[in-house]
Amino acid sequence: MTDETGKPRKKTEAGSIDLKLLEILVCPVTRGPLEYDAAAGELISRKAGLAYPIRNGIPIMLEDEARAIED
Amino acid sequence: MQVFDRALLRRRRRRAAAGLGDHDFLFTEVAARLRERLGEVQRSFSSVLEMGSRRPVIEDFSGKGGAMDRLVRSHFGGGDAAGSGAATPVTALEADEEALPFAPDSFDLVVSNMALHWVNDLPGCMIQVNRVLRPDGLFLAAMLGGETLKEMRAALMHGEMEVENGASPRVSPFADIRDIGNLLQRAGFALPTIDRDEITVSYRDMFHLMHELRGMGETNAVLARRKTTLRRDTLMAAARYYSDNFTAGDGPGDGEGDGRITATFNVLYITAWAPHPDQPQPLKPGSATTRLADALGVTERK
Repeated sequence: MTDETGKPRKKTEAGSIDLKLLEILVCPVTRGPLEYDAAAGELISRKAGLAYPIRNGIPIMLEDEARAIED
Repeated sequence: MQVFDRALLRRRRRRAAAGLGDHDFLFTEVAARLRERLGEVQRSFSSVLEMGSRRPVIEDFSGKGGAMDRLVRSHFGGGDAAGSGAATPVTALEADEEALPFAPDSFDLVVSNMALHWVNDLPGCMIQVNRVLRPDGLFLAAMLGGETLKEMRAALMHGEMEVENGASPRVSPFADIRDIGNLLQRAGFALPTIDRDEITVSYRDMFHLMHELRGMGETNAVLARRKTTLRRDTLMAAARYYSDNFTAGDGPGDGEGDGRITATFNVLYITAWAPHPDQPQPLKPGSATTRLADALGVTERK
């Protein structure tokens, strides 16, 4: 993840995630894969059209808390 | 089937989280008992999920036969402040036991301390646990069941009948050993065993007990509950009935009772394994090579 200047963007503690956890996480609704958007601090499920927030480093893998996204 | 209001449960747990330290006796006690059971298992685990525990069974990465690779704690409302001050950062996330966000074969141990009695879809939950476990992985869980809070159930029903001429569900319905055994088998687990522990706790009175349950985040979240709070006179009648009928220390030989009430908690312990070909299997019917009569040293009679 880089910004306009090409330098690595500094990850915020709040939205960062343990990579070891990311290996095994799937979307709780579709059980499909998740994309990690480090800039937004979200885990995105394309299939479900949902973005799960990461708060204080803790992914909130609940459908009720996820943001609906359009493709 | 939807029995419990999960959103309400989550709010209650979040509210209770900050003060849980004053009310975590049962969670801490059962965590210790689960730890004991785990200690008896001749196996080391490398990838562990602690599911919905309000107080953890697995405190750190130091497992038997070497450290664990992965320790994930999932909670549903009011986690135990995972990672705060801990020497090893524990991976925490919020997840619903009814919709687990893990890939198949992710763990070789799933442990859960007192969460499953709030799950609506227990069969679905168990199927999912089985799926996230690797073959021959262990599912170890404790949940409230059976006759839990039977005294309060009786007292509240009595109070409502006496004052309001009707009763509504005020205490959760609980599963029993037989139900759980069937569910585990249907979920495809091998070698399931379930046993029960009775923990009796004494409190000053029913109000003290209710305060404790609120502090634990364990108050009634049954969907069919009446949305109105209990009437004061109903509560008083219930509390009186409770004190009159379920008092500690008034059995023979107990000396003078101190007037404290008792509350029963039935804890069901589940041990089940994700199936693996190397586990003991029942033989196919008709595959015996020795006659039963020979083994018993008797003459076979047709």
